[in-house]
Amino acid sequence: MPIARFSPFELLLLQSHSQVDTATLLLLAWVLVQRDTVSDGQRCRRLTQEAANLGHGHDLGPIMRIAARRDIQAIQLAAEVLRHSCTAEQGLAVMHKAIAVATDDGRLSLANHYILRLLADLLQIAPATLETLFQELAGAALVSPQDPSRDAYWRAHNPEHYRRQAERDAAQARAQADARQQAEHQERERARRQQQESRREQARQQREREQRRHDQQRRPQASTPPPDRTLRALAVLELSPGASRSDIRLAYRRMAQLHHPDRVFSQSEQKIALASQRFQRIKKAYDYLMRRH
Amino acid sequence: MRDLYQRLSLPPTASPENIRRAIYACPNRALQQDADAVLGVAEHREDYDTLHATVSDIGQLRARLGLSHGAHWQGSVANDFTYPPDAAVGQHEALIGRVSDAAMRYNRWQRLRGPWLAAVAVAAAVSVGFAAGLALCLRLSGA
Repeated sequence: MPIARFSPFELLLLQSHSQVDTATLLLLAWVLVQRDTVSDGQRCRRLTQEAANLGHGHDLGPIMRIAARRDIQAIQLAAEVLRHSCTAEQGLAVMHKAIAVATDDGRLSLANHYILRLLADLLQIAPATLETLFQELAGAALVSPQDPSRDAYWRAHNPEHYRRQAERDAAQARAQADARQQAEHQERERARRQQQESRREQARQQREREQRRHDQQRRPQASTPPPDRTLRALAVLELSPGASRSDIRLAYRRMAQLHHPDRVFSQSEQKIALASQRFQRIKKAYDYLMRRH
Repeated sequence: MRDLYQRLSLPPTASPENIRRAIYACPNRALQQDADAVLGVAEHREDYDTLHATVSDIGQLRARLGLSHGAHWQGSVANDFTYPPDAAVGQHEALIGRVSDAAMRYNRWQRLRGPWLAAVAVAAAVSVGFAAGLALCLRLSGA
């Protein structure tokens, strides 16, 4: 049975003078990596500062590299080491250090919100204790993290983008308005020329234009049913032209059972939505055919 | 923090075109607006993806450490980023197992090193002698 190779962090842990301290350093390095607007040099100096009080006893470069690589197995190992061999006081001390490292510049990055809470759960620190500790160290209350999966977050954090978008929309609307105005202008010009040709012709044109404007205003609801609507409704029910009333009813029953949204109830939201659209279409076709026959 | 990819049934690596289509097909207006503002804008999506990767890692870690129901793991994050526990064994136990395995092998090697070395020396001497004999035979037959 071959032994798998030891990973870099496992080797570090085996060579370390104190496993708990090495594990703590890796978690602190992880917190540092997730801080915004900090250069690599600053991170290394801050970690060296922390390591001065800890018995790791080796170079910190490898730890920094492992943390920067998002090596989830190494972090899991560090967390397990901490959980196995940390007393309650040691746990509080580790939490203390993590909060200090995360809030050096007074701001807590979103990722660190979740990392600190993971550490608190790992070290069995109650929410109230964490809040007190955070208040003491950072000088501000620990609030729940903001939510970048929402539109409101970006409206607050990137107003520039929304301003640009509004400008783009306005420009587009202006271009459309211009085009419409120009079209109307041309129309008027042509009307005037035709007026010179014949007064009768002009009157007819005027009536026609009014008619057209009238149509334009109420085009959406004014669409008359196309002549082949019955054919399409029959096609929705998978029937050929000339089907009888009982055929239609049978086909509707079959299709409704086949496409009922309750059939895909346990699947994704999108599938349910698609099924209910299909079902609506089938039902509309059936209602229409029942009215006509 | 919600997992928009999961809610749109998309992989996190989805192309902008696929995302646009999924947003268009989404029946929930509020989710559609949020997804359009976050995933539809390249710079927003980049930031969101970075955080998404970290929070997914944390969800994975929590599942493996048995912390999926921690007091600090609440709300939409816990809803969207809690994963079922996978079959991975504890890293610490695995490390201890491998170290003891390696130590056992080392001890065995130390104990058997003498006989092994003697056997290897004999085998080497025999093969050298055989090769020399063969060379001599060839020379004699050639002459």
